[in-house]
Amino acid sequence: MKTINILLIEDDLIEVMKLKRATGSLNLNHKIIEANNGEKALELLQQKNNLPDIILLDLNMPKINGIEFLRILKADERLSYIPTIILTTSNNQRDLLECFKTGIAGYVLKPLKYEDYVSKIEKLLAYWSINELITT
Amino acid sequence: MSQIEEVLKRALAREKASRKAAEEILEAKSAELYEVNLKLKAANAELQTSYSKTSSQLQGVFENIVDAYVIMDLWGNILKMNNAAVDLLGFESTKDSSNLMSMVLPKELKKVQKSFKKLLNEGSLTDFKIQILTNKKDIKFVHINASIIYENEQAVGAQGIVRDITLESAYQEVVEAERQKYRNIIANMNLGLVEVNNDDEILMVNQRFVEMSGYSEKELLGSRAAELFEADKEKVIEIENKRRLDGISNSYELKIVNKMKELRYWLISGAPNYNVKGEVIGSIGIHLDITEFKNLELQKEILLKKLEKSNDELQEYAHIVSHDLKSPLRSIDALVTWLREDNKDKFDEVSFHNINLIQITLEKMEQLITDVLIYSSVTEDTDKKADVDLDELVSGLLEILYIPEHVEVSVKVKLPVVKGFKPKLQQLFQNLISNAIKFIDKEEGRVEISMKESAQYYEFSVGDNGIGIEKQFHDKIFKIFHTLNKSKESTGVGLSIVKKIVELHGGEIRLESELGKGTIFYFTLKK
Repeated sequence: MKTINILLIEDDLIEVMKLKRATGSLNLNHKIIEANNGEKALELLQQKNNLPDIILLDLNMPKINGIEFLRILKADERLSYIPTIILTTSNNQRDLLECFKTGIAGYVLKPLKYEDYVSKIEKLLAYWSINELITT
Repeated sequence: MSQIEEVLKRALAREKASRKAAEEILEAKSAELYEVNLKLKAANAELQTSYSKTSSQLQGVFENIVDAYVIMDLWGNILKMNNAAVDLLGFESTKDSSNLMSMVLPKELKKVQKSFKKLLNEGSLTDFKIQILTNKKDIKFVHINASIIYENEQAVGAQGIVRDITLESAYQEVVEAERQKYRNIIANMNLGLVEVNNDDEILMVNQRFVEMSGYSEKELLGSRAAELFEADKEKVIEIENKRRLDGISNSYELKIVNKMKELRYWLISGAPNYNVKGEVIGSIGIHLDITEFKNLELQKEILLKKLEKSNDELQEYAHIVSHDLKSPLRSIDALVTWLREDNKDKFDEVSFHNINLIQITLEKMEQLITDVLIYSSVTEDTDKKADVDLDELVSGLLEILYIPEHVEVSVKVKLPVVKGFKPKLQQLFQNLISNAIKFIDKEEGRVEISMKESAQYYEFSVGDNGIGIEKQFHDKIFKIFHTLNKSKESTGVGLSIVKKIVELHGGEIRLESELGKGTIFYFTLKK
């Protein structure tokens, strides 16, 4: 299984810990880059030679929220192709519709139980690591 | 001598001859006279018959004339009257005699005196109307045309034709009263009334319209209504007036500017106005000032928009709050899981048990938040109600719901297609069915779904053979956060959601239950 570069945009510290611990316990060697909010993420994405393979995006964030970030991303010619997967608690149908309209590669609900979370993350990453991805 | 004699002789002869001629003429004249005399006699006879004929004819006319005909002397004594007069004045026969003045009512006396003077002075009186008291003491309303009869240029009496107009007058009185009534209504009603001709020129307005328009009656009459009032250049009045020409009546709203330059809204009911020949000669419009209503309506629209917006915001808010509340729960669960994982060797049995309890509590908390979010989402959707096939919906539900081995869920009849919001109806059946399953304490559980049809409603039932609900709690269970069983699954919101969804669809919910035997929930959905 190939390793992929993941950009995790998430303001919640424990959520970041969860992803790291989950990948750790699953023995996955994917590279996780964190951004606490949308602005930080956009800064990181300015580094041309170090673009992530996929983006995991939380919707509820301070300042630029997830959907706003998504719009900026999709409007940027250089960044718009990066598969972005929403990772959120919100099953608001409006958010769902808006995200798919703007252009996402997936919409995953964060479950309550950590075990369920680990299982979802395992499947998600397995899927993307068997995908052909555009390399810079 | 002989010469004289000769002369005398000739003179005598001439005389003789002339006497003879004279005699002859006399004779002829005499014969002529005789003839004339004869002719005269014949003519006289003819005249005599002709006169008596005419006279009897006149008598006939006099007697048979439909109107009452009376001849009186100058003091009012009846000299002659016809049968119609007998009837009218209440006599028994034409021979009866009376004084007409005795029939005059005291209140009419002055009027009669005045008219009598006029009759004497001018020789005639027409169109004289008066109330009289007949010989039989009936009060009648009569109409009189009279003229003076002269003899040798001396007034000797009067003749008159009297017509009974009691009925006619009563009828006219009624008509007049009606006229007055409508005139009063028109004048005092709170609706502006305008009559216009085919050129939209104002012919008549009532007081209210004058007030509504701010113009004086003088300013209004003859003016064109459209030019005076129309606020927009949409030619509404012109279009409406064309409709009147086609004989169409209708109501329409019009934005107008009155004399004070105020913008007002009028509701106008217009109808074509016809002449006797049935031709449209204009239209009559009744105007109601609906500015207040209109403002309220506009206000309502604004409020509705605001409400819609705040509803949207509330929805949004509910989602955000639920997200914000759920996030820490997720974190706690992760942290507790790690605590357990990292301390496999260090914690004792009791600690693991407590960690389990924390996680169960977290689950319940999360369910509660989910339910509250659903409850707050049960409001009129922006999208319209659609046909929902409940048969399909319920069989689909039964496939995804967790049904324990010992419980059998059966649908007794084919469920109908109803108008509603599909996700909410699904939630409704899901909550009721899972609720029924949840509270089954028997070894063989049964959940039965059925339906009865009435004229306006479908009544559905979801019954179980579970633990049942005590009578005193039948109302309480629909209240939010009210749960009878402190169990992991029940948050006390499920039945509140059910009730809210039923009511959203214009239905009602009730239940029958016996403790220990089971419960049946009945709810109606509008057809």
